[in-house]
Parts: sequence; C-alpha cells; structure tokens
Amino acid sequence: MSKNQHDRAHHAKKASGVGDPQCFRGEAGQAKFKNGDKVRIRDLPDIFYTRCQVYTRGAVGRITKVVYESPAAEDEAWDNTDHPEWFYSVVFRQHELWPDYPASYKNDTLETEFSERWLEQA
Amino acid sequence: MSDTHKAAPMVDEVSDFEILEMAVRELAIEKGLFSAEDHRRWIEYVHTLGPLPAARLAAKAWLDPDFKKLAVADGVKASLAVGIDWINGPPTKFGTPSDYCSFRVLEDTPKVKHVVVCTLCSCYPRTILGQSPEWYRTPNYRRRLVRWPRQVLAEFGLQLAADVEIRVVDSNQKTRYMVLPLRPIGTEGWSEQQLTEIVTRDCLIGVAMPQPGVTSNAKRPVHPAVHPIHTGH
Repeated sequence: MSKNQHDRAHHAKKASGVGDPQCFRGEAGQAKFKNGDKVRIRDLPDIFYTRCQVYTRGAVGRITKVVYESPAAEDEAWDNTDHPEWFYSVVFRQHELWPDYPASYKNDTLETEFSERWLEQA
Repeated sequence: MSDTHKAAPMVDEVSDFEILEMAVRELAIEKGLFSAEDHRRWIEYVHTLGPLPAARLAAKAWLDPDFKKLAVADGVKASLAVGIDWINGPPTKFGTPSDYCSFRVLEDTPKVKHVVVCTLCSCYPRTILGQSPEWYRTPNYRRRLVRWPRQVLAEFGLQLAADVEIRVVDSNQKTRYMVLPLRPIGTEGWSEQQLTEIVTRDCLIGVAMPQPGVTSNAKRPVHPAVHPIHTGH
C-alpha cells in the first residue's frame, strides 16, 4: 500500500472542499468506452464485497453516460484508492434482465452504474 | 426499591442495528476517527435536511428552461440555486462516504417515467431530500421494484400506460438521483412557491406524480403485526 497505513483520514483530506468522486478526477486515464457503446456485464468473482448486482451479470446494455472516475467499490471497501477507474451508466431493456418480463411492456428499462472492470464490448 | 419492582423501559425497543450503531460509534470515538462533538454536529446537520430544496429545484426547472438544462447536465451545480452545497454543506466538507457529491436529476417526459431504488441498501440523496422513508429501505421495495416495477408502482397508486417507458434507476454506486416529474396540467401561471408545494417527496423518488391540490405523501397502509412482540413490562 503506497500510503501510510495508519492515516485513516487520508480520504477526508483528499476530498475536503472538492467532493467525492470529484477528488479522483484525472486519475483513471483514458476511458475505454463511450456513450452509446453496447456492453456486456462480466461475471467476475465477487468474494468479500461488490456493488455489481448479480441480476446484471451477463446482460447486454448500452452506455448512456460516462459518469466519473473513482476507485471501484470492490477496492475502496478495503481502503485501496490507488487505482481509480472510469464509471459508466448503463441502460438495459428489462426483457434482457428478466427473460419473462411481459412483452407488452417491452419499452421498460433499467439504468445503473458500473466501474470499467465489469464491462466488456458486446 | 423493592426486589419485585421492574423499572419502566426508557424506550419501547432498541433494535440490534441501534446497538450496533452505538457500539461502532463509541469505538470510532475511542479510536479518534471522529470526536463526540463531531458526531453531535453531524446529527444536528442531518436533522436540518428535508425534501423541500429538491421540490424547489423541480419547480424552478419547470419555470426556467435554462435552469432545467443545467439541472439535467450538472445536478450538483444546480443544487446551489436552492441553497444546497453538496460539497461544503455537510460539516465534513466533502459529503459523506455514503452521500457522494455526484447528483443526477432524471427528467421525466410524457413517454419516460423514472423511479429510483437502491437494491443494495438505502442510497438516497439525503443532502437535498433528507432521510429516506422507511419503505424505501425495505428489502420488499428494493428487490421487487427492479423486477416488477409496474406492479409496485400500482401499489403506490400509480398506473402507467403500456407505451410509457418505465425506467428504474438503481442507485448502487456513487451517483444519487432525484426525479424531475412532469409538470401537471392545471398549474398554468402558478408561482414557484405554489409549484414547490405539490412536489412531494414521493414525486421526487418517482413513485407518485404531482397533482394540483396534493401537497403531502399518500398514506401507506400499516398492518398490525401477526405475531406482536410482548415485552413483559
């Protein structure tokens, strides 16, 4: 770990007056995806902690907004803020998530955010 | 005091979560992560929060197309116009690790209706909406809204036509959301104050639509417990 392990306030110091996730701006490098990209949610191991809901795994959606840079929740949960990633807001057709969603409501959608590691080009 | 006397309980019930909160808080204070004074200031700040600023933001957006554009593009910046500074408002000066400073205003259209949920826990834009209602935090709402949105909205009294796209927004990372509902007919010529009054908390979560004359959240049915707790007091 690059930072002092006992500095439990490092997050507060970094974010004060700037905000979180704003304090990670510029730290994630080039974004891999852009608005309109079709992506599939990867089914990565999620032992200990995740914020990537299981109901989205394997589903294909479309990126509607490249939202911010931040450490992935899976890292941040362990106070690891060394490798921020781009986050994306992805929209799915409900039918893609729930195959028996009624066809008469085929327009219905669901939107949620993912860190870059969870996405692959579809 | 006789041996048989039992002291009256000071509160009816202390839940496991309240005990857990006290234990963690006391440990954090002992460890010096924050002081008891910090905690008091935070609680006092939290008690000043409510849904009024978000309602005013919606009313302003209805009246001013430029402000609506700003609100949809940059919710944090637009919040300043209703007195909410996401970054410097909270005593921490950086939001909190659960109320991040990423805020999106979801604009409803006649063909798209947004509704917000946090399937993981209870993420909620508390800075601008205050504390979430109890039902918002229940597993029942969280797990059913993503799967059966139309049925859940119908339970709230909101039935939508099949050609309206219901967009459930699952708030499970750092962005917090409010819904900017459609301005209802019958409010032509209304002032910002009049419009603010009909934008209830439920409208801002997306489970209700504003209506002239309706200025409070609909009552939720409360069912008596099947197996009520008997404390023995």
